[in-house]
Order: sequence, then structure tokens, then C-alpha cells
Amino acid sequence: MNVLITGASGGLGRALTIECARRGYHLFLTDINKTGLESLRNGVERQFPVVVATMACDLTDDTDVDRLLAHLDTYGIQFDMLLNVAGLDFEGGFLEQSRKNVLTIVSLNICATLRITHAILSRRAIGKSFSLVFVSSLASQYPIPLKATYAASKRFLLDFAYALGEELKNRHVHVLAVCPGGLVTTRDAMDGIKAQGIWGDMTTNRIEVVTRNTIDRALAGKLVYIPGIANRILSLFGHLLPRTFITMVLYKRWTRSQGKWLDIGA
Amino acid sequence: MKTIIITGATSGIGLAIATTLAMDGYRVIGIGHSEQSCRKAEQLVHASDPTGECLFKAADLMQQREVHRIADELEPYIVQTCGGKVHALINNVGGVRSWYATTEEGYEQQFALNHLAGFLLTSRLLPYVLAARGRVVMTSSNSHKGVSIHWDDIMLERSYNPLLAYKQSKLCNLLFTKELNSRYGSLGLRAYAVDPGLVQTDIGNKQTGSMVSLIWSIRKRFGVAPSIPAQTYRYLCTQQEYPSGFYYYGCKEQSYSHQVTDDNARRLFALSERLCAITYGDVS
Repeated sequence: MNVLITGASGGLGRALTIECARRGYHLFLTDINKTGLESLRNGVERQFPVVVATMACDLTDDTDVDRLLAHLDTYGIQFDMLLNVAGLDFEGGFLEQSRKNVLTIVSLNICATLRITHAILSRRAIGKSFSLVFVSSLASQYPIPLKATYAASKRFLLDFAYALGEELKNRHVHVLAVCPGGLVTTRDAMDGIKAQGIWGDMTTNRIEVVTRNTIDRALAGKLVYIPGIANRILSLFGHLLPRTFITMVLYKRWTRSQGKWLDIGA
Repeated sequence: MKTIIITGATSGIGLAIATTLAMDGYRVIGIGHSEQSCRKAEQLVHASDPTGECLFKAADLMQQREVHRIADELEPYIVQTCGGKVHALINNVGGVRSWYATTEEGYEQQFALNHLAGFLLTSRLLPYVLAARGRVVMTSSNSHKGVSIHWDDIMLERSYNPLLAYKQSKLCNLLFTKELNSRYGSLGLRAYAVDPGLVQTDIGNKQTGSMVSLIWSIRKRFGVAPSIPAQTYRYLCTQQEYPSGFYYYGCKEQSYSHQVTDDNARRLFALSERLCAITYGDVS
């Protein structure tokens, strides 16, 4: 099994990499962070008997992605699974962020994901089953003031996954969207979760459980995975309550925790 | 002037050891997490011993890249200023996590910080400790008892439990101590592991969730001040004669878990060498 993972040297990317290596899958890892990729390749190779190849790449840059693809084609690598992990968010309201940052969210979370997905689907092993995973977010379940761009970008991935899954189901491609709540991926993330108090503890998912279930569900051909009971209940509210009411509640909640988050971070 | 290197030296037990040994006339090299905390600790240690020498450097020791960087930076200083000798290396840095989280290598953070960081730093500084016929002291804990090493999943990725990960990492400290003595005892090196007891530090409040943080905030009220366990480190580092045994609490030798065997110690040592991509035999 050959797996390509984007955003591999971030917290979730690393955990998925370890999960796949433990299952004996061969890995092609990419990320914009070259040093992180090298450290991760070392860590995996010292622990598991799998082949790990890496290449740093800025997925928002067409030329850089072409370079990555040329590299794959030189070796004729075909894939059985693609894990779209690369994504980001910037803290702060829409007007408080720079225009560049707002567009980077869309450029990476949406455009870059489509770019690499299209390219890797064209390089899948024909006649074999292919698993395509999008890391969406619990934020895809409702519009979120103060995280408006991020939440909408994750909604895009969720809707796209549903539609593409239907489109490709007779072509041996299974599409899964994963919608995790908080994940402890960085020191900032830990501070952010702590700032949310009991909410943070409740909606935070255990990353090692999410990664294991993600691969299990991708292999089983599931469509959507929302980890944790608390998050599934929150998601249900998202479907039942009027969107205007949800945005009002969420605005209050994020105003409070962003303030605390900035305090802890300082 | 004898040199002592302490990791996790900018707060809690590490800072108390730094202050204590600086007052005893040792040159203290402290390693801490941030530049800011290093400057603050430097001032504190300097204030307690205005005539002494101390140096604080920042490094995120759970990342192996950072351990190598700090060792690269310290080596010329040790050679030029400290006469190529390190009297004691105190691997004190440690942390608690509420969740499974990984380092850049994809290693579980408690295992990486509490065990591998000390393992790797010791290997880098071993020639200088041996040159001084010096000592290596690990901050372990009595909580190492009642657990065994999960050899088939040492990062506990399959069944993560924060407390178990902590306890296992503290058992690793003892196993490493034992193996250091077996390998280098005949060359004059002595390694010790300390159980500091329950101490009023912020270990459970850093990078943990609100539940763990709350529980620790209550629990630590029953702890002693960091200056109390600092006396045990002082005892182990400053006695002319090597104190016997290798596991200490309150300046007295203690009994340790029956998991601390030569077999386990050798096995962990070999695994740690592989995970750090080093060979201890390289030093001479």
C-alpha cells in the first residue's frame, strides 16, 4: 500500500504517518516544512520497516506542485491512498486579519487540496481500490463567526467529499471526510484548548484514536467521520437549529475564548 | 571551579538546584525552555551568588535537533572555559501531557522529553563527564513503581494514558541510570536517579488540559518547596566519596521497582540508541 500524506510534519500529519507506518504502508510525505519532514522520516525509519520518501512542497504554488509530480513520475510511483491533511487557520476576526492571510486560508485549504487531489487521483493504481481522505473539521458543521473563512473552507471540503464520493464510486475510489474537534497538535493548540475550559476538554479528540479510526473508516469505505460523542451531538444541533441562532451563540463563545487564548499565549 | 549542567533549570526543582549549587561555588550551566525564562533564572542565580559564574541557554529538548544544537554550542565553552570537564550533568527536564502528542520525529512527547532528551544529551556530553570522573543525575520519581515497559508499543500510541506514559518514562530514567553505571562505572562515572517526592512546581500546569491542571493545582499544595529535593541533588553531586547505590530520596538510598533489571536496562539502552541514531560506544 502506497500512501501520500500532505501536511505530514504538522501534529495530525505526524500522527497519521505513524499510524500508517505501524500498519506497514509505504509513505510519501510532503509538507512546506523541510526540516520537519526530515526529522519525521528519521523517526519513522528508526521505528518501522517501511519505505519513507519525502519532498518539501508549497502546495499553494502550481510550479512547486509540478516539480513534486515530475519527481513522482520519474519513479513511476502510484498510490492507493491520499490523506489531505495540509490546512491552516489564522486567529482573529475577518477584518482583524490581513487580506493576505484570509486568502491563504482559501488557497491552501481549498485550492491546494483540489490541485493535489486531482493530480494524485490521476496517478492511482488502476483497477485497485483507492482511498481519498479529506481532513475537514467540526467547524464544517456550522458557520462560525470569527472563524468565518476557515469554517467555510472546511465546509467546502465536506460538501466536495460527498459529491466526489458519489461521482467516483464506480471507479473504485472511496472518499472520506474527517471532521475532528480540537486536536492537541501544537503548544498553541494546547493553550487554545485550555482557554476554552471544560468545553475544550469535551470537544478535544484524542489524536491517536482519530488517526486509527480515520484509516479504518477510509478502508471500510465510509463517507463521513465525526470523532467523539460530544462532537456528534454538537453536529446534530448544527442540523436542527436555525443558522442565525447558531452564529449568535458561536460568536459569544469564540469572543470569550479568543480573549482568554490571547491572554495565555502572551 | 567545577561545572554542573542542569536541564529544566529555569523553574521548579531545576532552578532550586541551580541556586543551591551556585552558592556552593559551582559554575552552573542551565538549560531552559525559553529565552525569557533563561534571562530571569540567570538573574536569580546570579543574585544568590554574585561572584559565581552561570550561563543559561534556551532549547526545546524534546526535539533531538535542539539537543544536538545545544550540545554543539556548549562543547567549545566546556573545552575553553570549563577545562573540558563536567563535574555533573543533571538531566532534570521533564513534563506531563494530558494527551498523546508527538515531537518532530513522531515520538510521544513524555517519552521524548523525560527519557530520550537526557539519553541523547548524556551521550553528547559523556566525554567531558568521564574526563571529570563525574556524575550523571536523573530526575526520576517513585511513581516509576507498579508499571513495566510496554516494549511492543513504547510510545503508547495504541493505548495512551497520560499517567502511564509519565510513570513509564520515570522507569526509563532508572533503567538508563542502571545501564550507565554498568557501562561506565569502571571508568569512574557514577549515575543516580532521584525521587524528588511531591514538590510545589508547575509541571502539571504546563501544556496540560484544564482537568489535569486543576487536579495538579490542588495536589501540589501538599508538596514541599523545590529547595527540599534540591538538597538530595546537592548531596549526590558534592560528596567526595561516591554515595552507594543509585536511587535516592531525601539524601537516602531507596529501593526501586523489580522491573529495574539488567536485561530491561540493556534493552532500553539499545532501543534508545536506535531512536536517537547514535552509538554510545563511539566515545573513548
